[in-house]
This record gives sequence, structure tokens and C-alpha cells, in this order.
Amino acid sequence: MNTSVTQQTVAVTLNEEYCSRCSICSSLCPFEAIKKEPETGKIVLEIEKCQVCGLCYATCPANAISSVYYDIDSLTGYLKRAKQEYESDTLVIMCNGSTPDFGGVEKLFGVSKFIPLFVPCVGRMPEEILLRAITMGIREIHVLACDEDYCRFDKGSAVAGRKILALNLLLEQLGYGTEVINLKRNSLKVKVDKDKCITCGNCVFYCPYHAAKLENGAASFDLDLCRGCGLCVALCPAFALELENWEKERISTLISKLSLEMEKPKVLIFRCQWAVLPPVDEDFGSHVRAIDLPCAARVDMLHILEAFQNGIDGVLIAACHEEECKQEKKGSKEAQHQVAVLKERLSQIGLGDRLHFCFVAPRYPEVFTAELGQFAEGIGADFLKGGDE
Amino acid sequence: MIVTVQKTLDEIFDSLSPYTSVLIAGCDGCTQPPRGLREAEALSRLLELGARSRGKKLDFKVTTHPKQCDSYLVADMLEPQTEDVEAVLSLACGVGVQTLTQVLPELVTLPAQNTLFMGMEAREGGTFEENCAACGDCILALTGGICPIARCAKGLLNGACGGSSDDKCEQDPQKDCAWCLIYKRLQKLDRLDILREFRPPRNFRAVSRPGRLKQ
Repeated sequence: MNTSVTQQTVAVTLNEEYCSRCSICSSLCPFEAIKKEPETGKIVLEIEKCQVCGLCYATCPANAISSVYYDIDSLTGYLKRAKQEYESDTLVIMCNGSTPDFGGVEKLFGVSKFIPLFVPCVGRMPEEILLRAITMGIREIHVLACDEDYCRFDKGSAVAGRKILALNLLLEQLGYGTEVINLKRNSLKVKVDKDKCITCGNCVFYCPYHAAKLENGAASFDLDLCRGCGLCVALCPAFALELENWEKERISTLISKLSLEMEKPKVLIFRCQWAVLPPVDEDFGSHVRAIDLPCAARVDMLHILEAFQNGIDGVLIAACHEEECKQEKKGSKEAQHQVAVLKERLSQIGLGDRLHFCFVAPRYPEVFTAELGQFAEGIGADFLKGGDE
Repeated sequence: MIVTVQKTLDEIFDSLSPYTSVLIAGCDGCTQPPRGLREAEALSRLLELGARSRGKKLDFKVTTHPKQCDSYLVADMLEPQTEDVEAVLSLACGVGVQTLTQVLPELVTLPAQNTLFMGMEAREGGTFEENCAACGDCILALTGGICPIARCAKGLLNGACGGSSDDKCEQDPQKDCAWCLIYKRLQKLDRLDILREFRPPRNFRAVSRPGRLKQ
């Protein structure tokens, strides 16, 4: 796919001239994408293995690593604008993997007005950006990380914890007070309505983490094992399951709201939040909107149909490559299967071409852009009479 | 469980053509893959979209309840929801469709599924496998727990036909030869002696069609 792109932009690059060969990056990389060459001592980045967690970028003491996502300049720019927009001096940095809705964030940190900053893993925040925020007049920083054993990038949450500990000591010595940066950990879990369960066993079979069991005539979950991927929710035939923050109703409301914002032809993207990392100030223009999900497996076929009913002209699903799926490699594959089944049904009513599934990885941002561009180009407006009603 | 496959949307549209208000009724019983509320909701949306592109308007309600094959439950749970509809589109097996027809004679009940067989859900391979032919004269105790009536293409009672090759059926080399499976199973159980006994033709009167059982 996309082999014609010869000079492809890669998300992470290593500048050998600056590299001091300290090996911090290679010791942290969860995917063994950065290694020290034994013969030469050179640090080498293998981009094909990189999953763009940003740990190396945020930790390199020599600034030898650059990243196209969430780099210090774009984050600083965002903070400047957001400080005006939200009229607040409280910053909440949240990992996409563990963040409840705004009400939940308010409850967790006891704040009502704040500048939100969503990132895929808080481990990718360089210390510098936290210090810059404070010099910009931010008085309180709250950081919401995933539970450590839940981190999609293995060490991201732990690294963030250690950094914050050190920064707090530094800030205290500099006279900014104690515990300026407040870290909390959270995980999003499945919720069961036992009255609706029909004991079909789908959740037991599909759960990548073996968290589901059928007990006393209904599904029950070991929440210590649940990793909040949403695969079971999308496959439950009886609507007995919900995933915190990605409840059916919430996604439905989002679909109709986004559809109203858009101009025809409208393209809606459901994307795995680990497959496509949105830039800090993502702007799709007026024809395209995206809904980020904890895994492509949470894509609910009913939501796709609902999008079409709401006058969306094309639906694009972006998932991680199967071997890079963060849900034990099961989510992405299952999503592909479910979408293929729905596409076949849609083709029976002439809408098959309006649904497209693609595997992408954040290391090649242009692949996703190209997939979206090609798909959007092929979608004509007004495919249904009265589609906007 | 009863394995079904959904009819094409064209066929469903054709059967629905005289009607505009339809209740789609799922079944939370043994119909597989599960034909509950999610399936009912998905089908209603597909049909609504399809109707729109055909310039038609169809009104759907969706519901589900356990065991569409239970005349009492249908009267108790489904009937109250049928007041303002012209037809019911059933997601259950053929038994469910006929139960509705009998319990709700004033309404038209239409099938959304083709009913295939009784089978096992082999989850790992993502398949359903026919395992029981409901013959009314079970011989599983004599065949190592493997049914030659349902799983042998010829329904033989006294060993393999001679057409199997590499333990596969000559009729469809993708499928196992049931008698090869039976032989290996009995060998493992050290009960090959069972096979030495000749089995007379099956009692075809064990179930007279249509079957009826007084409880």
C-alpha cells in the first residue's frame, strides 16, 4: 500500500550529530526500535519497529530525537492559545487511554475550569514543556496517566511518574511550592448490566484478557484483568455491556453533533487512538470529522449505520496493523472482520463503497492522509434522498 | 443450537413490499449466531437505509425476547408490542416464525433467516458444524460420541464407505470422514469390538413427521 511514496515522512527521526550515545532511549523503547550497535556504539533507530510512543523524544538529554507529534514547539503553541481560550491557569494533561469524560476529570482532580491537553501517553511529555507551562503562568498541573500495568506503551506511565517526582522536588527547591504537579492514575473498564445478559458467551470468547466469565446466569468481569478495549461491548448481541467514556449513547450523540457541523460530502472517521495520533490542533476542514476509540474493535457496526442514517456520505475505519494492535493483537483483526461483514450487507443496498477499512501506523502519517484523501475523493454527496433529515 | 443465516436484503425487501410498519423480532434463545436486539437493530437500520435509497419509507420497531419458539412467551412478551404493526419480521429459526404465525394469526410473520441445521459453534475456527440430525434414535453410545447420521454424507451405520481418502469425505474433501473419526475414537477408547456387531437399518419411524411430543 502506498508504495509510490518514495520520500515518506517518518514520525520519529534520530540526529546522529547530536546523539551522545547515552543509551537512555534504547533502554526505554518498549518496542526495541532503538538499539546500540555493539561494534560501533552508534544508536540506531529502526522505524519499522517504532510505534511512536514518544518516550525517547521526551527523554533524550541531547535533543537528538525529533518527533512530528506533540513536539515542544507545537505543545507550547497550544498552551499559549489554550490559556486564552479556556481562561484558566490550571492545566490537565490526560492520556487518551485512561481519560473519562470532562465530568469525570473534574471529579478526579476537583477542578471545574481547566486547560485540557490530550496526549497518547503522558510518558511522552518532555519535562521542558511542564516547566514552560509554569513559566507561562500555569499554577496547577494535573496529570492523568493509565494504571502502570495498563500502559499501552509498557513504560510510559511509570516514566511519567518518575519525571513528575523529580520535577516536583526541583520546583519545590525553586520556591514554587510543594506538589505543583499532581499525578493520578486511572483505567477505563467495562460495565455489565446483568439483567440484559443472554449468556451467549461472546464476551468470554472474545476478551483478549480473559476477564469475562459466565457466572450465576450472567456475564461477570474481573476488572483487574479488563483493559478497556471495548471489543466485548461492540460484539455483545444484547447491549448488556458498556465501556466507560465510550458509551453507546455518547458516541451516538457525537455522531449527530459532528454530522451537523459538516458540509456535504461528509466523511466520518472512526479511528483507533493508537493507529492515528492526531496533531495537537487537528483541522480537517468542513467535510471530515473523526471519532477516536480505544481500539478499532470498539467500532460498533450500529454506529456506522447510524452515521449513514445521519447523512454521513462515507465512513472510514482506521485500525492498527494486526501485529501492532495494543489489545493482544485481537482487536484490529476482529474489527476488520466485522467491517467486512457489514460492508457486504451494505453492498446489497448499493452502499458498499461508502465504507472503507484501512490499517495504518502513526510512524507514517502520510499513509493515513492518503487513505483519507483517496476515500473522500471517491465519495459523492447526497447518496440518499433525504439523507440530511 | 439452531444455526441460521440471514436472507439477502433484496429478498427481505420483496417479502416486506406490501407493508410499511414492521416489528423486527429477535430471539434470545438458541438461534446462532445470536439474533438478539443488536441484530434486530442492525437489520432495521440497513432496511431503513435501503428503503430510503429506493425512495420508500418503512417504519420499524425492534424487540427481542427469550425463545421465540415458546407459544406462551410469545403471547406474553411479543403480542403486546404488535398493536400498531402490519407485519413481524422474525430473526428466529423457522420454528420461531411458525410460532408467531400460530400465536398471532391476525398478523403476517415473515422470515429474515434461512434455517440451516443444529450445530456446534466451533469458536476458534469461526464456524458452525452440523452435529445432530434429530433422527429420534440416538446411537452416539455406539459410535464414540460421533454421529454418522449427521456427519457422514451417506448417513451410513456400519463403517466407512470406502470412498474416504486421508480421513476426508469423498463428497467434500474439506470435511472429515465421520467413520474415520468414529474408528479412531473407538480405538482410543479400546472399544473397536463395538464395530464388529452389525447394525440393522435405522428405525425411521422413531420420529414421524411432523414430530410431536406430549410433555
